[in-house]
Amino acid sequence: MSFTGPKNYREEAGKTIREKPEVRASITAATRTFDAHRVHAWGQIDAERWRDWARDVKTHTLRHLDKNLEQVEERLTANGTHVHWAETADDALGVLSEVVREHGIRSVVKAKSMLSEELGVNRHLEGLGVHVRETDLGEYIIQLLGQTPSHIVGPAIHLSLDDCRRLFHERLGTPLDAEPDELAGVARDALRAEFLAADLGISGGNFLAADTGTVVLIENEGNIRLSTSLPRVHVAFVGIEKLVPRLEDVSGLLQLTARAATGQPIGNFVSLIQGPRKNDELDGPEEVHVVLVDNGRTKLLADDAAWEALRCVRCGACLNICPVYRQTGGHAYGWTYSGPIGAIIAPGMLGLEEAMPLPFASSLCGACTDVCPVRIPIPELLVHWREQATEQGLTPPSETLGLKTYTKLAQSPELFGAASSVLRHVPLALGGRALPVVGGWMQERSAPKSSKKSFLQMWKEGIE
Amino acid sequence: MSARDRILERVREALSDRESAEHPGAFGGWRSTAAPTPVDGLVQLLEAAGGEVVLQPDVVAAAEWLASFCADFASSAVGETVPDSLRPPLPASAPDTAPLGVSLARGAVAETGSLIMDARDGRRAQLLVPTHVVFVHTRDVRATLRDALIELANDLPSAIGFHSGPSKSADLGQILVKGVHGPGRLVAVLIASVNAL
Repeated sequence: MSFTGPKNYREEAGKTIREKPEVRASITAATRTFDAHRVHAWGQIDAERWRDWARDVKTHTLRHLDKNLEQVEERLTANGTHVHWAETADDALGVLSEVVREHGIRSVVKAKSMLSEELGVNRHLEGLGVHVRETDLGEYIIQLLGQTPSHIVGPAIHLSLDDCRRLFHERLGTPLDAEPDELAGVARDALRAEFLAADLGISGGNFLAADTGTVVLIENEGNIRLSTSLPRVHVAFVGIEKLVPRLEDVSGLLQLTARAATGQPIGNFVSLIQGPRKNDELDGPEEVHVVLVDNGRTKLLADDAAWEALRCVRCGACLNICPVYRQTGGHAYGWTYSGPIGAIIAPGMLGLEEAMPLPFASSLCGACTDVCPVRIPIPELLVHWREQATEQGLTPPSETLGLKTYTKLAQSPELFGAASSVLRHVPLALGGRALPVVGGWMQERSAPKSSKKSFLQMWKEGIE
Repeated sequence: MSARDRILERVREALSDRESAEHPGAFGGWRSTAAPTPVDGLVQLLEAAGGEVVLQPDVVAAAEWLASFCADFASSAVGETVPDSLRPPLPASAPDTAPLGVSLARGAVAETGSLIMDARDGRRAQLLVPTHVVFVHTRDVRATLRDALIELANDLPSAIGFHSGPSKSADLGQILVKGVHGPGRLVAVLIASVNAL
């Protein structure tokens, strides 16, 4: 299954809440657990100072992105790695087609990578007649179900243990009451055979160090290490925003990302990949390709406000805390990146019209920015995109008219007083739904009863 | 114009009127609490992550420990850099069938509870075995990840793996399972060195 785009967000979100209450239960439980782990892990460190540092490293890197990209290309090439530049998803998939053709690739093992979801790697490989297997346990589960990830870090958190039991029973023949260890064992055996047979391993990259040409990957299962170690060819898709100037900078970013995502000091496995197997090494891929992907990132970088979203380390902390994301999970958003971060990068990367109505899928409560490890001002950027949406006429005309009218009224005490006096006499319960803005608000709420006197009158008379 | 040049041109255009931003300098690893020594920190974190830790006073004692540990295993896959004195008294088997893997870590990181695995030791024996025994000399334990990365940058193989616990997943209904892909059992054997920390 592929993403359908954000345009049906309202409908899909409503459908999930009405028809799949179990999804909401699973998502809410999982995100609360993730967030509790983050709170605990941040309590052990000077989190404010770590976050300032991480924000500044990422901002500095983006500010000098051209130099960092040139340097990493030089280093990677010196390490014997093939470097490719992809402006679009099609370009990136074209590189993959070339590797598949040149090496006669028949089967692929994939490490979890959100960028590969963004690019549509699996569908492309299937189109080429190549067998592709997701190897992260959560990704494996949703691949069997034909679904997309519902969360950046936990792709299958919308599923309960019983959902997994039923799936494994149908597809792998385990008993319906199998314990999680048994399910994992069966998956391990099935995937182990695929690891040993695969010709190509595909990964993303959490960080890319410019000074050493190192692709850094973080995980807990070991499937990323296997995907990048066993097959004879390794292709890593890395977004151009993943650069860091120095390998030593990864020290803070890795730890902060792990603590923000799952509350661990670090993932149980971290890979630092420089290039293909060297002469004095026993194993490892013979060929390594790094594909530097733009696909809308330079467009986001060019936005004077929204470029800050490119600091994102994809920890999922903003999803975990978001009261809106928690109700539905990621599928309703219709795009690879869901939740608050998805809502602010979609307009920059896809174009605002395409990304509508995601900037409005938020209550602007601000919880996301409080937990962001790289201090992205998410609510400000949501408002930034909302303003642009209104300017470009992408919001309902009645809403635009309503807000413009309010702006006028609020700037004149006389008009404001007159209007509020009129409003107090409108029978809201009867006619309120016909009004702009107020009408939308009243779709699911009963109207308040107007007070007899205005606030201004009461103020003049003296409020007790 | 190539894709490379077009991307770089767009980046430069986007940045042309952005204000400058300094690098904040070295990551300080600011913490509220710290273990008394790096070795203590390493032990604490490895155990908290589900790893097992064995402390041995010297190589001879470590070899004796290994011999008794091996009683439960029929064969093993051994890393290239493991010295003769620390090779298990077991028949060798390929990493994809061996029940036990024995490796020598290049070092360890106290701050994150990580064992540093070098590709020159052989990756398969580090990854495909269900039980992984890793020797590490306490003289090779570094206090912070930054210290370790600076040192590693001078001599990088094709790949380094930081192993900080057994393979685990919570993807099955948020319930923790071990040994999903990599070793489900990680045993770190810390060998005290002369002038140990």
